Amino acid sequence: MRGVLVLGTVVAACLLLLTVQTRGHSTPTAEALAFVTTPIQSGLARVNRTAVTIWSTYLDWKNVRAENRRLREDNQRLRVESLQVSETEVENQRLRRLLALQERLPLATVSAEIIAREWGGWVRSLTVNRGRGDKVTRLTAVISPEGLIGRVVEVRSGASIVQVLTDPASTVGAHVVRTRTSGIVEGEPRGTMRLKYMAREGGGIQVGDLVVTSGAGGSVPRGIPVGRVRAIDDRGSALFHYAVLAPVVDFARVDEVLLLMGETRQDVAAAFPTDG
Amino acid sequence: MKALFVLTVFGGGLVHATLAPALRIADVAPDIPLIVVVLLALRRGPEFGCAAGFVAGLLQDVAAGGLIGVQALTKALVGFILGAAGGRLRVTQPLVQVPGLVLLTVAEGVARFTLLQLFRFPAPFGELMAFVVLPQALYNGFLGAALVFALAWTDVVKERAS
Repeated sequence: MRGVLVLGTVVAACLLLLTVQTRGHSTPTAEALAFVTTPIQSGLARVNRTAVTIWSTYLDWKNVRAENRRLREDNQRLRVESLQVSETEVENQRLRRLLALQERLPLATVSAEIIAREWGGWVRSLTVNRGRGDKVTRLTAVISPEGLIGRVVEVRSGASIVQVLTDPASTVGAHVVRTRTSGIVEGEPRGTMRLKYMAREGGGIQVGDLVVTSGAGGSVPRGIPVGRVRAIDDRGSALFHYAVLAPVVDFARVDEVLLLMGETRQDVAAAFPTDG
Repeated sequence: MKALFVLTVFGGGLVHATLAPALRIADVAPDIPLIVVVLLALRRGPEFGCAAGFVAGLLQDVAAGGLIGVQALTKALVGFILGAAGGRLRVTQPLVQVPGLVLLTVAEGVARFTLLQLFRFPAPFGELMAFVVLPQALYNGFLGAALVFALAWTDVVKERAS
């Protein structure tokens, strides 16, 4: 009964409102109701605006955070990529120089990568990834675009050990380009090398003179740069004098090399730079 | 009781004002006050449902700027009828909730259209039903069912806590 009463009141109120509006009194009715509802609506709108602002601020913050994280990752990735690109570029240059040398040389060559280094002082050697399967033989000369690195002293199935010129046991026949003074380039335990020559032949040697292989012995072709005279060790009346040499090749930094195969009796001086 | 009434009805209005535009799908927004009225009527009976429908509808009428009293009347009727019939309906079943709310929304739409016809409302019935009432009815059905489910879950949690 009470429910019907409520319903009746509500229906009556609504019909009254509608009737009043159809009689042309819509504005005062609406205004009267708006007087009550407008503050509520304003409040709701304010709450709505605040909620939307908080929400959009939160979304912005979240987006900025995500963007920040993404940018950090991008930055990291690009830095790595940049390093890779510059590394590749350097490697590319090295390989191009090696290829150019390979094309200039009138000899059969095999390119190889250095896969290990022994730098203890007792022994100074490099391991390259070419071995018996590539027809590498003992005493094969190993060069880089700058000059001679050494000779193969041990051949294995997939690798070879290269004795570097600075190895204390290394000896190579060589001569000074300018004076034609011939001698033997020997490695020293401290990691340097020297040219041992007969005193009567070495009168005109000067600091800066280029020393190249002489081809004596046949295992290393003639004309490959070995080093430059850094100092002359004049031993007075001794039979042999020495010239301290600075290697033309930085053995610690070389990564790719060429192995000279087959006939090695030719002069290859023209394939290497001899200036400066 | 009064506090609950005010909170729910005005809360429904607030949610309608704030969330309904955000919840719009393909330009169809749910009638949140209608869903609130339905829920109140089912829980509190016909008087409460009728009063809640009247106040919620009146707020919508004033906010919309049209004829004041149309939605107040239709929503009051929905609240009363559902409050009276609620005891006999198995409203805990989603299979009842979704079509129930769809039908209620359609009924409210038809009632509103009929009432507005008395005041020479110009929109054609078919278009109004196809593009406004039916899409909104479907939306209300699913949203209302989700709310009923959420309320039932809250009750279970409350019972367990006590």
